Amino acid sequence: MIVLLTILSLILGLAYGLSGLELPLLTFFSQHTDLVLYLLMFTVGISVGLHRGLFRKIREYHIKIFIIPIGIILGSLVGGLVCAAMFHIPLGQGAAIASGMGWYSLAGATISQIGGSELGSIAFLSNLMREIFSFIIIPIVAIKLNFYTCIAPAGATSEDTTLPVMLKYTNEETVVLSVLNGIICSFFVPILISLCFQVS
Amino acid sequence: MDILLVMCLGILVGRFFFPQKAKKWNEVASLLCTLVLIFSMGAMLGRKEGFLHQLLTLGTQSFLFFLIPTVLSIVAVYILTKRFMKKHDGKDKEENA
Repeated sequence: MIVLLTILSLILGLAYGLSGLELPLLTFFSQHTDLVLYLLMFTVGISVGLHRGLFRKIREYHIKIFIIPIGIILGSLVGGLVCAAMFHIPLGQGAAIASGMGWYSLAGATISQIGGSELGSIAFLSNLMREIFSFIIIPIVAIKLNFYTCIAPAGATSEDTTLPVMLKYTNEETVVLSVLNGIICSFFVPILISLCFQVS
Repeated sequence: MDILLVMCLGILVGRFFFPQKAKKWNEVASLLCTLVLIFSMGAMLGRKEGFLHQLLTLGTQSFLFFLIPTVLSIVAVYILTKRFMKKHDGKDKEENA
Protein backbone atom coordinates (compact mmCIF):
# COMPACT_ATOMS: atom_id res chain seq x y z
CA MET A 1 0.00 0.00 0.00
CA ILE A 2 2.72 2.45 1.02
CA VAL A 3 4.63 1.63 -2.16
CA LEU A 4 1.60 2.38 -4.34
CA LEU A 5 1.02 5.65 -2.52
CA THR A 6 4.62 6.74 -3.02
CA ILE A 7 4.57 5.84 -6.72
CA LEU A 8 1.26 7.68 -7.10
CA SER A 9 2.75 10.73 -5.35
CA LEU A 10 5.70 10.71 -7.73
CA ILE A 11 3.47 10.39 -10.81
CA LEU A 12 1.17 13.17 -9.58
CA GLY A 13 4.19 15.34 -8.81
CA LEU A 14 5.65 14.75 -12.28
CA ALA A 15 2.29 15.50 -13.90
CA TYR A 16 1.98 18.68 -11.83
CA GLY A 17 5.49 19.79 -12.76
CA LEU A 18 5.00 19.03 -16.45
CA SER A 19 1.59 20.73 -16.58
CA GLY A 20 3.10 24.07 -15.61
CA LEU A 21 0.18 24.72 -13.22
CA GLU A 22 0.77 26.88 -10.17
CA LEU A 23 -1.73 25.85 -7.50
CA PRO A 24 -0.89 27.91 -4.37
CA LEU A 25 -1.05 25.08 -1.80
CA LEU A 26 0.94 22.58 -3.91
CA THR A 27 3.46 25.23 -4.89
CA PHE A 28 3.87 26.16 -1.22
CA PHE A 29 4.62 22.54 -0.29
CA SER A 30 6.99 21.96 -3.19
CA GLN A 31 8.91 25.12 -2.30
CA HIS A 32 9.13 24.36 1.42
CA THR A 33 10.37 20.78 1.37
CA ASP A 34 12.95 21.62 4.03
CA LEU A 35 10.13 22.27 6.53
CA VAL A 36 8.40 19.01 5.55
CA LEU A 37 11.71 17.18 5.96
CA TYR A 38 12.10 18.68 9.46
CA LEU A 39 8.60 17.53 10.34
CA LEU A 40 9.38 14.08 8.94
CA MET A 41 12.56 13.85 11.01
CA PHE A 42 10.68 15.01 14.09
CA THR A 43 8.04 12.28 13.69
CA VAL A 44 10.77 9.71 13.02
CA GLY A 45 12.48 10.88 16.22
CA ILE A 46 9.24 10.39 18.14
CA SER A 47 8.95 6.84 16.77
CA VAL A 48 12.49 6.12 17.94
CA GLY A 49 11.88 7.72 21.33
CA LEU A 50 8.72 5.67 21.86
CA HIS A 51 10.71 2.45 21.56
CA ARG A 52 11.72 1.47 25.09
CA GLY A 53 15.08 -0.23 25.61
CA LEU A 54 16.34 0.73 22.18
CA PHE A 55 19.49 2.59 23.26
CA ARG A 56 20.64 -0.36 25.34
CA LYS A 57 20.55 -2.42 22.14
CA ILE A 58 22.49 0.21 20.17
CA ARG A 59 25.23 0.18 22.82
CA GLU A 60 25.40 -3.59 22.36
CA TYR A 61 26.25 -3.12 18.66
CA HIS A 62 29.26 -0.85 19.33
CA ILE A 63 31.65 -0.97 16.34
CA LYS A 64 29.23 -3.22 14.45
CA ILE A 65 27.27 -0.08 13.54
CA PHE A 66 29.82 0.40 10.72
CA ILE A 67 29.18 -3.01 9.16
CA ILE A 68 26.16 -1.87 7.13
CA PRO A 69 27.74 1.35 5.69
CA ILE A 70 30.90 -0.61 4.78
CA GLY A 71 28.79 -3.17 2.88
CA ILE A 72 26.84 -0.46 1.08
CA ILE A 73 29.94 1.52 0.09
CA LEU A 74 31.82 -1.58 -1.11
CA GLY A 75 28.83 -2.90 -3.04
CA SER A 76 28.22 0.47 -4.67
CA LEU A 77 31.85 0.97 -5.67
CA VAL A 78 32.21 -2.53 -7.14
CA GLY A 79 28.89 -2.07 -8.95
CA GLY A 80 30.14 1.23 -10.40
CA LEU A 81 33.31 -0.47 -11.62
CA VAL A 82 31.30 -3.25 -13.28
CA CYS A 83 29.06 -0.69 -15.04
CA ALA A 84 32.11 1.32 -16.15
CA ALA A 85 33.60 -1.81 -17.73
CA MET A 86 30.27 -2.56 -19.46
CA PHE A 87 29.92 0.93 -20.97
CA HIS A 88 33.64 1.46 -21.67
CA ILE A 89 34.01 4.55 -19.52
CA PRO A 90 36.94 5.17 -17.13
CA LEU A 91 36.63 2.99 -14.01
CA GLY A 92 36.97 5.93 -11.62
CA GLN A 93 34.09 7.75 -13.32
CA GLY A 94 31.84 4.69 -13.06
CA ALA A 95 32.70 4.33 -9.38
CA ALA A 96 32.02 8.05 -8.85
CA ILE A 97 28.51 7.73 -10.33
CA ALA A 98 27.69 4.81 -8.03
CA SER A 99 29.23 6.65 -5.04
CA GLY A 100 26.14 8.87 -4.96
CA MET A 101 24.41 5.99 -3.11
CA GLY A 102 20.99 7.51 -3.82
CA TRP A 103 21.86 11.15 -3.09
CA TYR A 104 20.86 12.18 -6.61
CA SER A 105 20.92 15.97 -6.14
CA LEU A 106 24.50 16.10 -4.87
CA ALA A 107 25.83 13.36 -7.18
CA GLY A 108 24.17 14.89 -10.24
CA ALA A 109 25.38 18.40 -9.51
CA THR A 110 28.98 17.56 -8.56
CA ILE A 111 29.55 15.00 -11.33
CA SER A 112 28.11 17.45 -13.90
CA GLN A 113 30.68 19.97 -12.74
CA ILE A 114 33.62 17.55 -12.72
CA GLY A 115 32.80 15.12 -15.53
CA GLY A 116 30.34 16.93 -17.83
CA SER A 117 26.58 16.98 -18.25
CA GLU A 118 26.21 13.46 -19.70
CA LEU A 119 27.92 11.78 -16.74
CA GLY A 120 26.08 14.17 -14.44
CA SER A 121 22.75 13.15 -15.96
CA ILE A 122 23.55 9.45 -15.55
CA ALA A 123 24.54 10.13 -11.93
CA PHE A 124 21.35 12.08 -11.33
CA LEU A 125 19.02 9.52 -12.92
CA SER A 126 20.69 6.40 -11.53
CA ASN A 127 20.73 7.78 -7.99
CA LEU A 128 17.16 9.01 -8.36
CA MET A 129 16.18 5.50 -9.46
CA ARG A 130 17.98 4.09 -6.42
CA GLU A 131 15.89 6.26 -4.13
CA ILE A 132 12.59 5.56 -5.92
CA PHE A 133 13.10 1.81 -6.35
CA SER A 134 14.10 1.54 -2.68
CA PHE A 135 10.43 1.99 -1.82
CA ILE A 136 9.68 -1.19 -3.76
CA ILE A 137 12.83 -3.16 -2.84
CA ILE A 138 12.74 -2.58 0.95
CA PRO A 139 9.49 -4.51 1.61
CA ILE A 140 10.75 -7.44 -0.51
CA VAL A 141 14.14 -7.53 1.25
CA ALA A 142 12.39 -7.38 4.65
CA ILE A 143 10.49 -10.57 3.81
CA LYS A 144 13.14 -12.50 1.87
CA LEU A 145 16.41 -11.54 3.63
CA ASN A 146 16.74 -9.72 6.96
CA PHE A 147 15.77 -6.29 8.33
CA TYR A 148 19.33 -4.95 8.34
CA THR A 149 19.69 -5.60 4.61
CA CYS A 150 16.68 -3.32 3.98
CA ILE A 151 19.07 -0.40 4.62
CA ALA A 152 21.31 -1.41 1.67
CA PRO A 153 19.16 -0.24 -1.27
CA ALA A 154 18.38 3.05 0.49
CA GLY A 155 22.10 3.93 0.84
CA ALA A 156 22.59 7.58 1.79
CA THR A 157 18.83 8.22 1.73
CA SER A 158 18.27 5.87 4.66
CA GLU A 159 18.26 8.81 7.09
CA ASP A 160 15.39 10.72 5.46
CA THR A 161 12.97 9.82 2.65
CA THR A 162 13.12 6.04 2.91
CA LEU A 163 12.87 6.04 6.71
CA PRO A 164 9.05 5.73 6.91
CA VAL A 165 9.19 2.64 4.66
CA MET A 166 11.84 1.25 6.98
CA LEU A 167 9.60 2.03 9.94
CA LYS A 168 6.67 0.31 8.28
CA TYR A 169 8.44 -2.90 7.20
CA THR A 170 11.19 -3.37 9.81
CA ASN A 171 11.47 -2.28 13.46
CA GLU A 172 12.62 0.75 15.46
CA GLU A 173 16.03 -0.82 16.05
CA THR A 174 16.63 -1.05 12.29
CA VAL A 175 15.35 2.52 11.91
CA VAL A 176 18.05 3.81 14.26
CA LEU A 177 20.72 1.83 12.40
CA SER A 178 19.22 3.24 9.20
CA VAL A 179 19.64 6.84 10.43
CA LEU A 180 23.23 6.17 11.51
CA ASN A 181 23.95 4.53 8.16
CA GLY A 182 22.50 7.53 6.31
CA ILE A 183 24.74 9.91 8.26
CA ILE A 184 27.86 7.84 7.57
CA CYS A 185 27.06 7.27 3.86
CA SER A 186 26.13 10.94 3.32
CA PHE A 187 29.45 11.95 4.87
CA PHE A 188 31.33 9.71 2.43
CA VAL A 189 29.39 10.60 -0.78
CA PRO A 190 31.28 13.84 -1.66
CA ILE A 191 34.61 12.35 -0.52
CA LEU A 192 34.19 9.22 -2.65
CA ILE A 193 33.04 11.16 -5.73
CA SER A 194 36.11 13.41 -5.71
CA LEU A 195 38.47 10.52 -4.86
CA CYS A 196 37.08 8.37 -7.69
CA PHE A 197 37.50 11.20 -10.19
CA GLN A 198 41.06 11.76 -9.03
CA VAL A 199 42.03 8.16 -9.76
CA SER A 200 40.30 8.08 -13.19
CA MET B 1 23.18 18.71 10.88
CA ASP B 2 20.02 20.63 11.81
CA ILE B 3 17.99 17.66 10.54
CA LEU B 4 19.72 15.47 13.10
CA LEU B 5 19.03 18.02 15.85
CA VAL B 6 15.34 17.99 14.94
CA MET B 7 15.33 14.21 15.09
CA CYS B 8 17.04 14.25 18.49
CA LEU B 9 14.36 16.66 19.69
CA GLY B 10 11.75 14.21 18.39
CA ILE B 11 13.47 11.37 20.27
CA LEU B 12 13.28 13.39 23.52
CA VAL B 13 9.60 14.20 22.91
CA GLY B 14 8.87 10.55 22.11
CA ARG B 15 10.81 9.34 25.15
CA PHE B 16 9.34 11.70 27.76
CA PHE B 17 6.16 13.41 26.53
CA PHE B 18 4.49 11.62 23.62
CA PRO B 19 1.66 9.23 24.59
CA GLN B 20 2.22 5.64 23.49
CA LYS B 21 -1.40 5.38 22.33
CA ALA B 22 -0.85 8.17 19.75
CA LYS B 23 1.89 6.15 18.02
CA LYS B 24 -0.39 5.38 15.07
CA TRP B 25 -1.03 9.09 14.42
CA ASN B 26 2.68 9.75 14.43
CA GLU B 27 3.16 7.04 11.79
CA VAL B 28 0.41 8.62 9.66
CA ALA B 29 2.17 12.01 9.94
CA SER B 30 5.46 10.36 8.86
CA LEU B 31 3.78 8.85 5.83
CA LEU B 32 2.09 12.12 4.84
CA CYS B 33 5.40 13.98 5.06
CA THR B 34 7.05 11.35 2.84
CA LEU B 35 4.28 11.59 0.26
CA VAL B 36 4.59 15.39 0.18
CA LEU B 37 8.38 15.11 -0.24
CA ILE B 38 8.04 12.64 -3.10
CA PHE B 39 5.34 14.72 -4.75
CA SER B 40 7.62 17.77 -4.51
CA MET B 41 10.51 15.81 -5.99
CA GLY B 42 8.27 14.80 -8.91
CA ALA B 43 7.09 18.39 -9.38
CA MET B 44 10.69 19.63 -9.36
CA LEU B 45 11.71 17.01 -11.95
CA GLY B 46 8.66 17.70 -14.11
CA ARG B 47 9.58 21.39 -14.26
CA LYS B 48 13.17 20.58 -15.23
CA GLU B 49 13.84 21.54 -18.86
CA GLY B 50 14.17 18.45 -21.11
CA PHE B 51 13.69 15.95 -18.26
CA LEU B 52 11.61 13.47 -20.28
CA HIS B 53 14.06 13.54 -23.17
CA GLN B 54 16.96 13.03 -20.75
CA LEU B 55 15.11 10.12 -19.16
CA LEU B 56 14.71 8.35 -22.51
CA THR B 57 18.21 8.82 -23.91
CA LEU B 58 20.24 7.98 -20.84
CA GLY B 59 17.65 5.67 -19.30
CA THR B 60 19.31 2.32 -19.99
CA GLN B 61 22.75 3.32 -18.72
CA SER B 62 21.23 5.01 -15.69
CA PHE B 63 19.10 1.96 -14.94
CA LEU B 64 22.12 -0.35 -14.92
CA PHE B 65 24.09 2.19 -12.87
CA PHE B 66 21.26 1.98 -10.36
CA LEU B 67 20.62 -1.76 -10.53
CA ILE B 68 24.10 -3.29 -10.30
CA PRO B 69 25.48 -1.18 -7.40
CA THR B 70 22.18 -1.60 -5.52
CA VAL B 71 22.12 -5.38 -5.93
CA LEU B 72 25.79 -5.67 -4.95
CA SER B 73 25.16 -3.47 -1.89
CA ILE B 74 22.30 -5.76 -0.87
CA VAL B 75 24.48 -8.85 -1.32
CA ALA B 76 27.42 -7.31 0.60
CA VAL B 77 25.26 -6.12 3.51
CA TYR B 78 23.41 -9.44 3.68
CA ILE B 79 26.65 -11.42 3.85
CA LEU B 80 28.23 -9.05 6.39
CA THR B 81 25.18 -8.90 8.66
CA LYS B 82 24.73 -12.67 8.52
CA ARG B 83 28.38 -13.11 9.43
CA PHE B 84 28.88 -10.37 12.04
CA MET B 85 25.43 -9.52 13.40
CA LYS B 86 24.14 -13.02 14.03
CA LYS B 87 23.05 -12.28 17.59
CA HIS B 88 20.67 -9.61 16.37
CA ASP B 89 19.29 -11.02 13.13
CA GLY B 90 16.89 -8.08 13.02
CA LYS B 91 13.68 -10.00 12.39
CA ASP B 92 12.13 -9.11 15.71
CA LYS B 93 8.48 -9.07 14.70
CA GLU B 94 7.17 -9.13 18.27
CA GLU B 95 8.79 -5.80 19.06
CA ASN B 96 7.07 -4.24 16.10
CA ALA B 97 3.63 -5.56 16.91
